[in-house]
Amino acid sequence: MEPIRILLVDDEEDFRQTVAKRLAKRGMHVRQASNGENCLSMLEKEPVDIVVLDVKMPGMDGIEALRHIKERHPRTQVIMLTGHACAQDGVEGIKRGAFDYLSKPIELEHLLTKINQAYDKIIREEEKEREAAFRASMEQQMIATERLASLGTLAAGVAHEINNPLAIIKESAGWILSILHKDELKDMPRRSDLELGLSKIQKGVERIRRITLQLLESVKQTDSLVSEVNPEELARETVDLVCKDASAKDVRIMIDSRPDVKRIWTDPYKLRQVLINLLTNAVYAAGPGGTVAVMIRPTNEGALITVQDTGQGIPRENLARIFEPFFSTKPPGEGTGLGLFVTRGIIEKLGGAINVKSEFGKGSAFEIRLPLHPEMEDMPDASDNPGAWLVNVEG
Amino acid sequence: MIKIPTRVLLVDDEKDFVEMLSLRLQDAGEKVTPAYSGKECLDTLKQIPIDVVILDIKMPGMDGIETLREIKKRFPLVEVIMLTGHGSTETAVEGMKLGAFDYLMKPAEFDDLTAKLQAARKRKDEQEERIRKAEATLLVRKAGGIA
Repeated sequence: MEPIRILLVDDEEDFRQTVAKRLAKRGMHVRQASNGENCLSMLEKEPVDIVVLDVKMPGMDGIEALRHIKERHPRTQVIMLTGHACAQDGVEGIKRGAFDYLSKPIELEHLLTKINQAYDKIIREEEKEREAAFRASMEQQMIATERLASLGTLAAGVAHEINNPLAIIKESAGWILSILHKDELKDMPRRSDLELGLSKIQKGVERIRRITLQLLESVKQTDSLVSEVNPEELARETVDLVCKDASAKDVRIMIDSRPDVKRIWTDPYKLRQVLINLLTNAVYAAGPGGTVAVMIRPTNEGALITVQDTGQGIPRENLARIFEPFFSTKPPGEGTGLGLFVTRGIIEKLGGAINVKSEFGKGSAFEIRLPLHPEMEDMPDASDNPGAWLVNVEG
Repeated sequence: MIKIPTRVLLVDDEKDFVEMLSLRLQDAGEKVTPAYSGKECLDTLKQIPIDVVILDIKMPGMDGIETLREIKKRFPLVEVIMLTGHGSTETAVEGMKLGAFDYLMKPAEFDDLTAKLQAARKRKDEQEERIRKAEATLLVRKAGGIA
């Protein structure tokens, strides 16, 4: 434990020295000041836990000094020392925020008790502050999670409704196109113009379809089929799936694993989906000539899978936003802004965590931490949020 | 070789969708009958021979799954392809456990649809063929042939 830091303020030199010596003997860290002004300037330089403050001093008196201390150092506790038969001063001090007062002549044991009590109070208040800060950040997280969940539910509903008319547009365009391809229309004037227009419609439909499917995916309530998975094997399988696309873009993918990587219990289908998302992003980010590395490492809790690219990195101002739905820096039509949103949702459902490290100009690394077993009790309470984040585990 | 049209019953409450898809399928040489509800689907099956039903899962009134159960109960040889506008495949999988041939996500690729349609049709033909052979064997036995 750190020694209690004390500032002893009294204009009577002998008294001050004696008390300081005896407090120091008890393991406290004691400094001294001979008057109020001195006390304040010392506090400015280096804060203390407790000020033991004489009331009657020439110049700035104790009450005045107390006011300044409480103003500038609200965490510092003050014990007032009042003259014999001047209890009134002590009461005044307490009213102004002193922890307590002692009447001179003081007994050292008495002072020690008061110092310890004051110190306990400091610790209690610090704990309270920490707790309040923790609760505030938790609340903020909850609000963000709930907002995203309800946004997701709404979006999925919209997506579902859009799919039906979208199917009509798709069938109509497809039909017109198949008619245009018939022999009887071979010599139709401006046939290519019509085909161009139709191909734009089809491209647009495809784009909407990707968005709606991913939206539905993001809130999809599926049973997780948990089985024992070798993360390295899964990573190799997934890399095989994307390597064709990668080599077409002139991107090299490397896998780096270690023999002590443990098998984990997770949903291989979902994990593969996550890896595909991350690898596709990484290949895109790395660009021609770039490299993507997949690293698999064992951790105490399970496994750590890192997907790293040698791309441009993510600007600091975007880092906090990349997991938000509809956030994308790709040109329109290339990204739905849902990939990482969905990815994070999946990882959280699997009881894991995902985070990103990025250095602008050097590349990014996405880290997935997965537990040995998915911890179902850590899941958000499904009853609060029907359907949205439910995971049922079988097998 | 002349293509023998598959007799398709297309069931969806989205009239525009049924209309367009019917035109396309007919254009591709199939024989399509439209129906706009589960009930209409079952009524049609009673009246005309059908090979494959393309069945939307989400419909007001009798939904796709309910309709599927009835189809499989009353017309077990008719193949069913489920259409889902839902991202979730659970209902589709449930449908397949109840005897549906396959499912497609809406909006579906026309080529996927026709491929599945042909496969379903093939299964039905083969099943009917087996039944015919079995019946023939039965007749031979009854007629006092090889035991």
